[in-house]
Amino acid sequence: MRFSETALALDSIDLNVAEREFVTIVGPSGCGKSTLLYLIGGFLKPTTGTLSLRGKPIIGPGPDRGIVFQRYSLFPWLTARRNISYGLEELGVARADRERIVAEHIRLVHLQGFEDRYPRELSGGMQQRVALAQTLVCKPDILLMDEPFGALDAQTRRILQDEMRRIWHSNTKTVLFVTHDVEEAIALGTRVVVMSSRPGRIKEVIKRDFDVADGDEFEASPQFAALKLRIWHSIKEEVEAARS
Amino acid sequence: MKLVPLLLVAALWQAASVSGLLPPAVLPSLSSVLAALVSLIRSGEIFPHTAVSFLRAGTGFLLAVVFGTALGLAMARLPAIQRGVEPILLSIYPVPKPALIPLFMVWLGIGDVSKITVIALSCLVPVVISSFNGARAVDDLLLWSARARGTPEHRLLWRVVLPATLPQIATGVRTAIAIALIVMVSSEFISSEHGLGYLIFTYGGVGSDDAMLAVVLYLTAIGFLIDWVYVAGLRRLLAWHAFAH
Repeated sequence: MRFSETALALDSIDLNVAEREFVTIVGPSGCGKSTLLYLIGGFLKPTTGTLSLRGKPIIGPGPDRGIVFQRYSLFPWLTARRNISYGLEELGVARADRERIVAEHIRLVHLQGFEDRYPRELSGGMQQRVALAQTLVCKPDILLMDEPFGALDAQTRRILQDEMRRIWHSNTKTVLFVTHDVEEAIALGTRVVVMSSRPGRIKEVIKRDFDVADGDEFEASPQFAALKLRIWHSIKEEVEAARS
Repeated sequence: MKLVPLLLVAALWQAASVSGLLPPAVLPSLSSVLAALVSLIRSGEIFPHTAVSFLRAGTGFLLAVVFGTALGLAMARLPAIQRGVEPILLSIYPVPKPALIPLFMVWLGIGDVSKITVIALSCLVPVVISSFNGARAVDDLLLWSARARGTPEHRLLWRVVLPATLPQIATGVRTAIAIALIVMVSSEFISSEHGLGYLIFTYGGVGSDDAMLAVVLYLTAIGFLIDWVYVAGLRRLLAWHAFAH
């Protein structure tokens, strides 16, 4: 992944995210959704303006902001277990504590029995479970997720969405989640940010005003369908505006 | 099954010699070469030469692996080093390194140092190129991921770049093993008093073609064994990588 383009990717982004909020970001392809995450992650620097986390400016990457990429971000030479414990090793956590924390997280993402496999030997869905656990062990203040389920098949994606919601409910982290899937955005986000086409601006922020409990019933509700349609129209408007 | 073509060539060779089609002056028979090999091993004559040769080759090879890897990684990570080193490396690349042996002998004497230097220089090129290309191709995503999980800049090389580059380095090292053996023998052809290259050259000079070829066969077998052990070790060590399976 390289950014060599000099075109303006994002413009006037002003978004405040409260603690323990699950914010999903949708928008037309190439609108700079991922760029926004990379800026917050500290991997890219804004040409102008500032970003801050808990009032402190972001100057580079750090374990206070955990990131899960779409794929291929695990260290291929480490087993699932060692991938998960990577951040703890870097933090200098003692071996016994490391083992305990890693075991907890392996259970959390249901990877029992696959601890000693290398990434190459795991399915795409399992690799993303490892990536999620790898990020969670660092106890980040905010979880940045860049289309983490985008490369998975529909079934696996659904299962991981349910687990993501369960994990968020159980340890309520602040999550910023980029996706191109409107249903996923609503199923996970308490607020959905719709971005305009490039240069990306925040077009609207929609609060989900109904509850998504564990279980699949919410998908059949009229509110869900209405919200889905509303967001989709908002995105489509942007795609069409960019075309003309 | 893989041995069948080899055995066929061996049988044809022996048959041609026995039938008189292939006179010993052109090529001694396989059986006489094997007999010469057995007596070289029985008398123990070949072993001190083996030790001398492989000490030279091993030293030059190890120097090349250590410095070549370091140089390749440094070139990939630091543009200033790449700009400084790449033109020199590219100009060394096509030079037939054994041709430099006389020059090194003038500079460094006719002893081990000049031989080790030319072996090291010859092995350096494939190691530098493979580690440079490998390290340059490390996915930015892995570096980002490591940084986001607390790895400081100065440890990225050790924690991410080196392990990610190991498969490519291993390929370059395999080439270097073969080159080390070739240059070892060539360097011993000239003003040497020990070593397998010296043996080959001497036997050839006095017309003992069977003993000369026996040493060649012996070297081939050792070369094959080293490569086999290396690849087997690699499969274990780099089990995480696709080529291991």
